[in-house]
Amino acid sequence: MKILLVEDDAPLAAEIAKALRAENFALDHAVNGEDGQHLGETETYDAVVLDLGLPKRDGIAVLQAWRAEGRTVPVLILTARDGWSDKVAGFKAGADDFLVKPFRVEELVIRLRALVRRATAHGANRVVCGPLTYDSGLGTFERDGLPLKLTGLEWRVLSCLILRKDGVVPRGQLIERVYDGDADVDSNSVEVIITRLRRKIAPARIEGVRGHGYRLMPGEAA
Amino acid sequence: MRAPSPEAHREKPERPAPPEHRPPQPVVPKTETPKSDSPKPGRPPGPLHPGSLQRRLLAAALVLITAALVVAGVAIGLVLHRFVRGQLDSRLDSQLVALGAGLERGPGGALRLSRDFDGPPFDRDRAGWYWQVRRGGQVLRSGSLDGRDLAAQASPEGPRGSDQPRPADGTGPWGESLILRVLVLPAEGPGPPTVLVASAPAAALRGPLREAGGALALILGILGVSLVAGTLAQVRLGLRPLERLRRDLAAVRAGERDRVPGKQPAEIRPLVEEVNALLDQNAANLERARTHVANLAHGLKTPLATLTLALSDRTRDPDGVLANLVASMDRQVRHHLRRARAGALGGATRTRTPLAEPVADLRTTFARLYSEKGLVLDVSLPAGAAVACDGQDLDEMLGNLIDNACQWCRGYVRISAAASEAGLVVAVEDDGPGLAPEAAAEAVRPGRRLDETVPGNGFGLSITQELAELYGGGLHLDRSGLGGLRAALTLPV
Repeated sequence: MKILLVEDDAPLAAEIAKALRAENFALDHAVNGEDGQHLGETETYDAVVLDLGLPKRDGIAVLQAWRAEGRTVPVLILTARDGWSDKVAGFKAGADDFLVKPFRVEELVIRLRALVRRATAHGANRVVCGPLTYDSGLGTFERDGLPLKLTGLEWRVLSCLILRKDGVVPRGQLIERVYDGDADVDSNSVEVIITRLRRKIAPARIEGVRGHGYRLMPGEAA
Repeated sequence: MRAPSPEAHREKPERPAPPEHRPPQPVVPKTETPKSDSPKPGRPPGPLHPGSLQRRLLAAALVLITAALVVAGVAIGLVLHRFVRGQLDSRLDSQLVALGAGLERGPGGALRLSRDFDGPPFDRDRAGWYWQVRRGGQVLRSGSLDGRDLAAQASPEGPRGSDQPRPADGTGPWGESLILRVLVLPAEGPGPPTVLVASAPAAALRGPLREAGGALALILGILGVSLVAGTLAQVRLGLRPLERLRRDLAAVRAGERDRVPGKQPAEIRPLVEEVNALLDQNAANLERARTHVANLAHGLKTPLATLTLALSDRTRDPDGVLANLVASMDRQVRHHLRRARAGALGGATRTRTPLAEPVADLRTTFARLYSEKGLVLDVSLPAGAAVACDGQDLDEMLGNLIDNACQWCRGYVRISAAASEAGLVVAVEDDGPGLAPEAAAEAVRPGRRLDETVPGNGFGLSITQELAELYGGGLHLDRSGLGGLRAALTLPV
């Protein structure tokens, strides 16, 4: 899962980045509204954490621009203003959730996972695919009721696949959603991760669709 | 004139009533809420108020009109007097000339008239209409003199010569006041001149004058009254824009419009421009104050957020003491920011916020915030419901109540509103567990939020109560028919 963080305050951004990476999220960071809007328009993200008081371009304006362009990426607004008027204005501009500063890491993470899950049309907290279960509240995977130990990259790939289990996830999109914007991506590394994952999640399978992408399947091939 | 009683101040100025009118009823404009403790909008003083423009203009007009009428009356009276006197004089003069022409020398040089000159009005006895001709010892008299002598002291000769009749002074034989004319005809030969005197009673002058004077006074009186009435109408018409301006300002104050309309008479336009500039400045100041508060919030809260995140690392804050300190700082900041915002309340103008839109926005917001819960937010508001509150404060009060209801409900929240004597009552009800009466009292106890460690548990209720009371409203908590809490927010309209 990849998050776009648009936050101008460097110490706060550093803390958020550290916290989110610790929870296996991939992260891009923009320090002003203009850059943030541009990243949101050119890259693929599972969710955006958007501060409202931004230099160059206000957070509300950025959000409105995205929504006017038809971008449906879930947006969580960070703001210092805790009045309902500000929240109403945020939701009217197209926000999906709201977090008032100061907030706790756990809250931010839970809300982000819930946003991503809802954006992929999963109503319940737990997403099941055969023996695999993803708990979006805790951000954990289980196989046959037992916790599954995954590395950060494995977690990103598997959560991306399980949330889109009814379709094929294009390879390019998978790479975009897994690696940080500034990461040096080796074209084979996704293949390596997939291979390791296949061992961990059996009997569920990751099916390669030639020339297209990957698909998570609940059980053995017929 | 009636002394300006307190009631006179309350008189509605547009009522076209003279001051001595039925006692005026105090009329309270609809936009007023009697319970509001803000100062009443100043009503213009009645026409008799000492500081009244109407009174000044009317008094000036009255003085001018009276002076003009007095001058006109005196001048017309003098002209009339001269005219009537001239008529009388020429009547007497023609009698004198006729007498002079009718004089004959009778037998023995006796003085004699060629015919009877006692035609009317000289035929009435002692009526004041007399004539007399005297030459030396010989005297001829009108019958009306009844044989008495008519004494006359002729005024000095006029510039036209001695052969013209002249006015004279004198009284009648019975002491009556007379108007006299004298003609002195010099003798043809040696001997005394012939002195002809004719008289009319003073009443002949006074009578027509009195008659004409009465008519004149009546005409001048009618003229005066109509002038006063015209002035009154003019003053009221002229001052009408002021009354319109007052209503416009009242509308601004009641929040029905933002500014005073610029379409005004040229004399008032500068005033209106000043008032509008003041209103703009006021709004700008309020906006600036709010921006400052928002900047302060941002400036304080971002480092607080960083601290919170940094302290979530257990190695930095093993016993959670620092996190608690940060939480306490956050509560203090929030409390004082809210205070600062509330302090910006009570500006010169009141706003009028329709209820429908903010409630619809909040409904959308909460539907989104609690989308996991799948709750039903039922809104039923009377058409056109509005309250005299700032939009942001309304959002704050309702937001807190709805948030509380959404947290506790099992799936159904109802928002309704109804008018009451105190204003508009907005009720937010839920089907949750509700609050025991003691707990309800505790929830709205002022200052509670500062001790509150778990935000969100009735945390917003005391804030809502505080805000509502600032507006002169209130918050009442009891049990809803739905089973849960019913929070009734009373707001001024």
